[in-house]
Amino acid sequence: MATLQLNNIVKDFGGTQVIKGVDLEVKDREFVVFVGPSGCGKSTLLRMIAGLESTSDGDILIDGQRINDVGPAERGLAMVFQSYALYPHMTVEDNMGFSLKLAGVSKEERRQKVLEAARTLQLEPLLDRKPKALSGGQRQRVAIGRAIVRNPSIFLFDEPLSNLDAALRVQMRIELARLHDELDATMIYVTHDQIEAMTMADKIVVLQGGVVEQIGSPMELYHHPRNRFVAGFIGSPKMNFMTVEVVDRRGEGVTVRLPGGGVCNVPVGSNHLDVGKNLVLGIRPEHLVLDDQGPLVGVVQVIERLGGSTALYVQMEETEVIALTDGNTAHQVRDKARFGFASSRAHLFGADGLALPSLQRHPLADIYRKDNRTHTETSNY
Amino acid sequence: MTASKRWLPLTFKIALLTLLLLWTLIPVVWMVLSSFKPNNIITADTPRIFFTPTLEHYASLFSGGNSLWPYLLNSLFIAGVSTLIAVVLGCMAGFGLSRIRIKGKQHLAFWIISTRMAPIAAVIVPLYLLFRYLYLLDTHAGLIVAYLSFNLPFAIWLMTAFFDDLPPDLEEAAMIDGATKLQAFRYVVLPLMTPGLVTTAILCFIFAWNDYAFAQTFSGPSTQTIPIAAAQLLTQTGIDWGKLLAIGTIVVCPMAIAGLLVKRWLVQGLTLGAVK
Ligand SMILES: Nc1ncnc2c1ncn2[C@@H]1O[C@H](COP(=O)(O)OP(=O)(O)OP(=O)(O)O)[C@@H](O)[C@H]1O
Ligand SMILES: [Mg+2]
Repeated sequence: MATLQLNNIVKDFGGTQVIKGVDLEVKDREFVVFVGPSGCGKSTLLRMIAGLESTSDGDILIDGQRINDVGPAERGLAMVFQSYALYPHMTVEDNMGFSLKLAGVSKEERRQKVLEAARTLQLEPLLDRKPKALSGGQRQRVAIGRAIVRNPSIFLFDEPLSNLDAALRVQMRIELARLHDELDATMIYVTHDQIEAMTMADKIVVLQGGVVEQIGSPMELYHHPRNRFVAGFIGSPKMNFMTVEVVDRRGEGVTVRLPGGGVCNVPVGSNHLDVGKNLVLGIRPEHLVLDDQGPLVGVVQVIERLGGSTALYVQMEETEVIALTDGNTAHQVRDKARFGFASSRAHLFGADGLALPSLQRHPLADIYRKDNRTHTETSNY
Repeated sequence: MTASKRWLPLTFKIALLTLLLLWTLIPVVWMVLSSFKPNNIITADTPRIFFTPTLEHYASLFSGGNSLWPYLLNSLFIAGVSTLIAVVLGCMAGFGLSRIRIKGKQHLAFWIISTRMAPIAAVIVPLYLLFRYLYLLDTHAGLIVAYLSFNLPFAIWLMTAFFDDLPPDLEEAAMIDGATKLQAFRYVVLPLMTPGLVTTAILCFIFAWNDYAFAQTFSGPSTQTIPIAAAQLLTQTGIDWGKLLAIGTIVVCPMAIAGLLVKRWLVQGLTLGAVK
């Protein structure tokens, strides 16, 4: 049981504000991911929660208690560092049992708890080794094991998978998601990898320059990005942007003229929009479809065949657009290609970068993780 | 062609190293060997390498009216205590200097090490006057303070470098595991600092152990150290070569062994795979 609340917290490093007033509410047993480009303050924010960095302004509350002035040892959290930070002079068992030793737990009880965690992580054969004698993936698991043994109210992870190779990363991602299910714990996870964010999170916090750009479920961020930054950051390949002109705003939605002259009615709200004004239209690569009658036309520059899908890099007037098409696409480089898209998939952004609000909410946007406990209880009936 | 290019400098390097080794080792080896020779062989016109060894010089050093024992104990006590203080304070100051975030930290660190840069000759007279006012002449404390004035900045500087090499992640992990700052230091930092502490301790000890200038100026009858004893053997009536060589061996050997130890510790990595 643990909730976390950040009230307008600020971090000042000798005059430069690195965290510029962040508000956040983390519910009990939620998996929250902080994501953002390098240097945006993710680690700093996590370290402030851990108590490793002081808070220059604002309040941090765990279970409703203000803990700004509580030391890291008393916050009852566990953290997995990017560097793993295993104690090199201790065996795996001592590494994992260190927090219990500090808490004065007896040797047998300590051993039993360590064994229990080691079993979950398949670490039993390694308990007598020193960290030096472990592979990267094994060190990673020991670091997670050390956190589990502590039985914390909240788990904190700072880019725990970034030192692993791609295959192991996918495996550990799944293992962590499973652990979250099993442990029923609140977890906060920092990454700059938006795929990790999308796949693991109940709630994603997108940060940029020390400011929260948007907080929401993965599907909400994908379908209803609040601004151009989030739209471009979430999703891979990146969303395409092109300048369009408002031609009509009567009736439902906004009608815009696309590059190449086609028009399209996007179902978004249109307060105070003048006809003739320029907007930015965003459309994801996977939502562009090859269509001989489509409004967008360009010349294929590069083709990336991934097997199941094919990415076409297309030059349309002055903008380059990526389209993710079927794997059987027969296009060649320098071919002309015509695309269409469902207008409900398009996004419109004003000059300030903010998205115009969609008229319909995506049905999956508000689906959050199932409550694990209620789930198991009901399945018992 | 490339092989000979590489080969030539290698032979050159080996030749140079051999020369250097001979240059440094021959006097020491000769001293140690000769300290076991009977007097007539030491002063013989033709140097001899093979002889029946004798311990007579060592025996006479530790017996009779002017035994070496008090000098040896003085040396051990003064060098030991000043080293202990330098390492303990140096460890704490180095940790602070390495971890604390303050403006102008480098300047502070440089100022500390710069106090080590003054030549001994420059501080000896002011220190003498100071010690006379403070009644520290001919006391163990006086010499300990004198050695500290050189060893402490050195220890701080060296320990800071060792702490800089130790990632703060480890202490932070310990604190999140529930350790107080002191516990994190005790259970995580200190064990990993052993090589640094041993290295610093040995280097500080060598400085105090080998010193002649301070001991000559500040010590009195009750606080003289081994180098002073050695000097006393150069009397106006003649030089007792046997005893002198034996003292030299006693002074050099522990330090030579310590030197080898430092090397072993220095070579050993500090972090041992803590951080990938
Ligand atoms: N101790 C410090 N003193 C001054 N500035 C700092 C300090 N620590 C971090 N910063 C600055 O704060 C900003 C945010 O750093 P932070 O480590 O939180 O970024 P991050 O989002 O975790 O980036 P990355 O993805 O590269 O890990 C950076 O601009 C960094 O230079
Ligand atoms: Mg970071």
